[in-house]
Amino acid sequence: MEFSELIRTGRAQAELLRGPEAPPLRGTLCVTGHHLLLSPGPQATSDLWLLLLRSVDSIEKRVAGDSGTITLRCKDLRVLQLDIEGVEATLDIARSIEALSSLESVITSFPFFYRPKGLRLGDAWHFHPPEHYYKRVARETNAWRLSEVNEDFSVCPSYPRAVIVPRAVDDDALKRSARFRQGGRFPVLSYHHAPSGTVLLRSSQPLTGPQKRRCAEDEEMLRAVLAGARPGARGFIVDTRSSQTAKQARMTGGGTEAKAAYPGWKRLHRPLERGRPLQESFVRLVEACGDLEQSMDRWLSRLEGCRWLAHVKEALSTACLAAQGMEREGACILVHGAEGTDSTLLVTSLAQLILDPLSRTMAGFQELVEREWIQAGHPFQLRCAHSAFSHARPKHEAPTFLLFLDCVWQLGRQFPLSLEFGEGLLLALFEHAYASPFGTFLCNSEKERCLCEVRTRTHSLWSGLNQPKEQRKVRNPLYVLNPLAIWPSVEPQSLRLWQGLFLRWTRPPEPSEVAWEKVWQIVTDKEKTEGSQPTVSAPEPQS
Amino acid sequence: MEFAELIRTPRVDNVVLHRPFYPAVEGTLCLTGHHLILSSRQDNTEELWLLHSNIDAIDKRFVGPLGTIIIKCKDFRIIQLDIPGMEECLNIASSIEALSTLDSITLMYPFFYRPMFEVIEDGWHSFLPEQEFEFYSSATSEWRLSYVNKEFAVCPSYSPIVIVPKSIDDEALRKVATFRHGGRFPVLSYYHKKNGMVIMRSGQPLTGTNGRRCKEDEKLINATLRAGKRGYIIDTRSLTVAQQARAKGGGFEQEAHYPQWRRIHKSIERYHILQESLIKLVEACNDQTHNMDRWLSKLEASNWLTHIKEILTTACLAAQCIDREGASILIHGTEGTDSTLQVTSLAQIILEPRSRTIRGFEALIEREWLQAGHPFQQRCAQSAYCNSRQKWESPVFLLFLDCVWQILRQFPCSFEFNENFLIMLFEHAYASQFGTFLGNNESERCKLKLQQKTMSLWSWVNRPSELSKFTSPLFEANNLVIWPSVAPQSLHLWEGIFLRWNRSSKYLDEAYEEMVNIIEHNKELQAKVNILRRQLAELETEDGMQESP
Repeated sequence: MEFSELIRTGRAQAELLRGPEAPPLRGTLCVTGHHLLLSPGPQATSDLWLLLLRSVDSIEKRVAGDSGTITLRCKDLRVLQLDIEGVEATLDIARSIEALSSLESVITSFPFFYRPKGLRLGDAWHFHPPEHYYKRVARETNAWRLSEVNEDFSVCPSYPRAVIVPRAVDDDALKRSARFRQGGRFPVLSYHHAPSGTVLLRSSQPLTGPQKRRCAEDEEMLRAVLAGARPGARGFIVDTRSSQTAKQARMTGGGTEAKAAYPGWKRLHRPLERGRPLQESFVRLVEACGDLEQSMDRWLSRLEGCRWLAHVKEALSTACLAAQGMEREGACILVHGAEGTDSTLLVTSLAQLILDPLSRTMAGFQELVEREWIQAGHPFQLRCAHSAFSHARPKHEAPTFLLFLDCVWQLGRQFPLSLEFGEGLLLALFEHAYASPFGTFLCNSEKERCLCEVRTRTHSLWSGLNQPKEQRKVRNPLYVLNPLAIWPSVEPQSLRLWQGLFLRWTRPPEPSEVAWEKVWQIVTDKEKTEGSQPTVSAPEPQS
Repeated sequence: MEFAELIRTPRVDNVVLHRPFYPAVEGTLCLTGHHLILSSRQDNTEELWLLHSNIDAIDKRFVGPLGTIIIKCKDFRIIQLDIPGMEECLNIASSIEALSTLDSITLMYPFFYRPMFEVIEDGWHSFLPEQEFEFYSSATSEWRLSYVNKEFAVCPSYSPIVIVPKSIDDEALRKVATFRHGGRFPVLSYYHKKNGMVIMRSGQPLTGTNGRRCKEDEKLINATLRAGKRGYIIDTRSLTVAQQARAKGGGFEQEAHYPQWRRIHKSIERYHILQESLIKLVEACNDQTHNMDRWLSKLEASNWLTHIKEILTTACLAAQCIDREGASILIHGTEGTDSTLQVTSLAQIILEPRSRTIRGFEALIEREWLQAGHPFQQRCAQSAYCNSRQKWESPVFLLFLDCVWQILRQFPCSFEFNENFLIMLFEHAYASQFGTFLGNNESERCKLKLQQKTMSLWSWVNRPSELSKFTSPLFEANNLVIWPSVAPQSLHLWEGIFLRWNRSSKYLDEAYEEMVNIIEHNKELQAKVNILRRQLAELETEDGMQESP
């Protein structure tokens, strides 16, 4: 196959340095189509060291005398150093890694070759179809229906096959509304809040353009939403752009909902950062985190200067606003920015975590990520092509999903008992979103996944994570179901840098992790000794 | 008695109290000589019972006939009282002002406090220098107890008993004392049993501009080194500051006269600079503007975490000299009562597992802060809200506690006590019903007859019912030296102190409770398992006995 053309040197003798804590590893280095392997000599332990080439973000080579050094900066923010015997070998290996780590073709990527023991292809892909969430909504209200208007992805290429829409609106109206929304992303149901009878919707911006175009079907749809909620219900449109930016968008054909055209709906602007500024913020934060020798002043001013925590705060505040609108004011909420595939999803998914106890369970959170990010068309492949170390000019990269995970981490820190999953799951999702042996985060939309046959030819991350041996890493041992909404404090003093992610590889293994490990051990011991109903429920068979 | 003169209105009805985390409550406000009490009349329970000495500053405002007093406490809490009637409000405010700033120590509450609990162990006798020395004397005979300061004549800020090299007699100590700032001649602070190295502390040498020497001082310092060993003198001032000190009669050790010693300068801030840093930090924490950039730049501008980093770095350096280099050290700054004690006590936390237990930490506070003469009365007279800038206040002890918290955060399993223990110590250093932190040194405490007239904090803390609140469930004795990370990313704002009243810790407390419960439950089960195992073993041996005839 074509990989062999890219591999110039099969093997070389090398020493691997993995940071201050882990001991160096010596052995034979091999480059394969998808991996970098280091197998220690026969005298050493038989452990094979393996790195997915896809997870290499940037590579730096230096040669001196008759040996060379390759520094690999990974997408999970790890920095590795390889000391290799032979200048030629070093250069060849560096070139091979460079070429193989940036392959663009999806179907030659590792998930299509990964066949782990104990997992069957196709498992877990069926966990979270749109029908699954619709069943829950249908139990709570009959104002909504599941529409298959997008069956062949022709109405909206970034939506899944089936979406939940107001029962009063037929598929023809949906098609017309789709033509009025950027990328065809007409308003769909994101979450039904049963206690208040209100709903959370998401869409993309309306294409009003400079002539302030209108669309009767789109207006009718939002009217139907309010009518379906309860008589006299109000609605808020949360636009994740500033009103300035939203106005400017008219020049390029976009725009905002005109107030007169949508009676009962009020527009609120909450600008959230996106795109390149967000990526730059991430890059600068990671840079600052990597320098352990700087002064306290320098560190704090770099932390401030990168504005990452300000973005966390804005995202959480906007999610709180949406959640408050529903729970406290009994209003329906429509969230959109421009495309409706980034900051929009950040807000809708966080609002659900705040309001919905089910989404804070292990299965519920996985379902949330699947429904609100993967199926909702967050373009993972474009956004997560590179991480913070890449020298390539960012085109479409943006750590929107990481920002979401960070906000979830902040929630977990403020409500340590209320999330069934722990930091381990968030770290795993971050890693897998950027480079993974599983197919879950491949491609940019359901349509692309369908074309690449991702569901039938790769394994789902969820089946990987839900294996008993992985559960321990990802569960929160202190979890107790909390049926209430959890309102995070978004004051700047309450928000922290997510050390477990950003300082994961630079700091010595945090002793609080050791303490955490101990808590885990005790909880597990307790289960064993008790033999009765464990505090941490065993993974339930899911249907 | 004279308090009555200060209290013009002892009682006001219909006062509304606003305080963090509780709904506003209406009740009757009473002023006594030492307390401000608010009880809601419904069920006669006290809603507020505040020591006047805990009040750092007050503001008053009037809207029509309704007056408002805002009370800012030394523990950073802010309380608001709405008082109907302008005259009552003014009276109350002026009484609080007068009562919270009493000049005479003997009028303070500890002299009036009568404990409601049974004293199991009198804390005044819990930590005597003789006991500490006994601990060392099993390991070394190179040191002795000296009673040269019995009458506080040689050094007014030392305790009557100090540990000095055996080969130096009291006469020599007297001479050395005249050569050291405040008479603080070098004394033993810590003996590292593992390798016999020591930490000593002192005041700066009074070399002055003409480079005065003192033969006895040189002899004393050299006497602490074994043959062929080297030592380090850690000066907690920058070289420039130390050089400037010569003009005022102070100075530093000339290496030529102390040939086995190397001097290292590590600058640690002191005095009003620290106080201003605290004021800025608390102001930043109370900032309500909801702006991340503003918060981070204020946090940076306060420099508090920079001070933490400096102190911890110096303590790590001292500990490294002892444990890694196998060298003894002498630490001093100017007076040797502030940054010196921060470094010597933190180095012990790093080096000595005993000082990470509750009892050991209490002994450390007693030895390295109280008996070592840290002027608590001056340093803790005012906290972060006080407008009158007096020059003696400085949160030196709070910085020490913060540094301990940083280490505790990094090594949660290595400490027998939890964060609450440190918070409690902070509170009592600034305002307390106990006499422990009164006075500036042992000499003053002696004159005040604190042992006879007041209760020791340790008498209260060391009862099982209190201890249980301060014990960490994760503790597992760790006999190793623990090296904290001092990278800026590793140091955090101490939320338990600085955001304590701004943010409810309800959910974090719940999680902590849950963890404690799980650990307790686990212990019970373990005990059960052990009993069952023993029974099983017994049954098996019985079986064996029955089988064999």
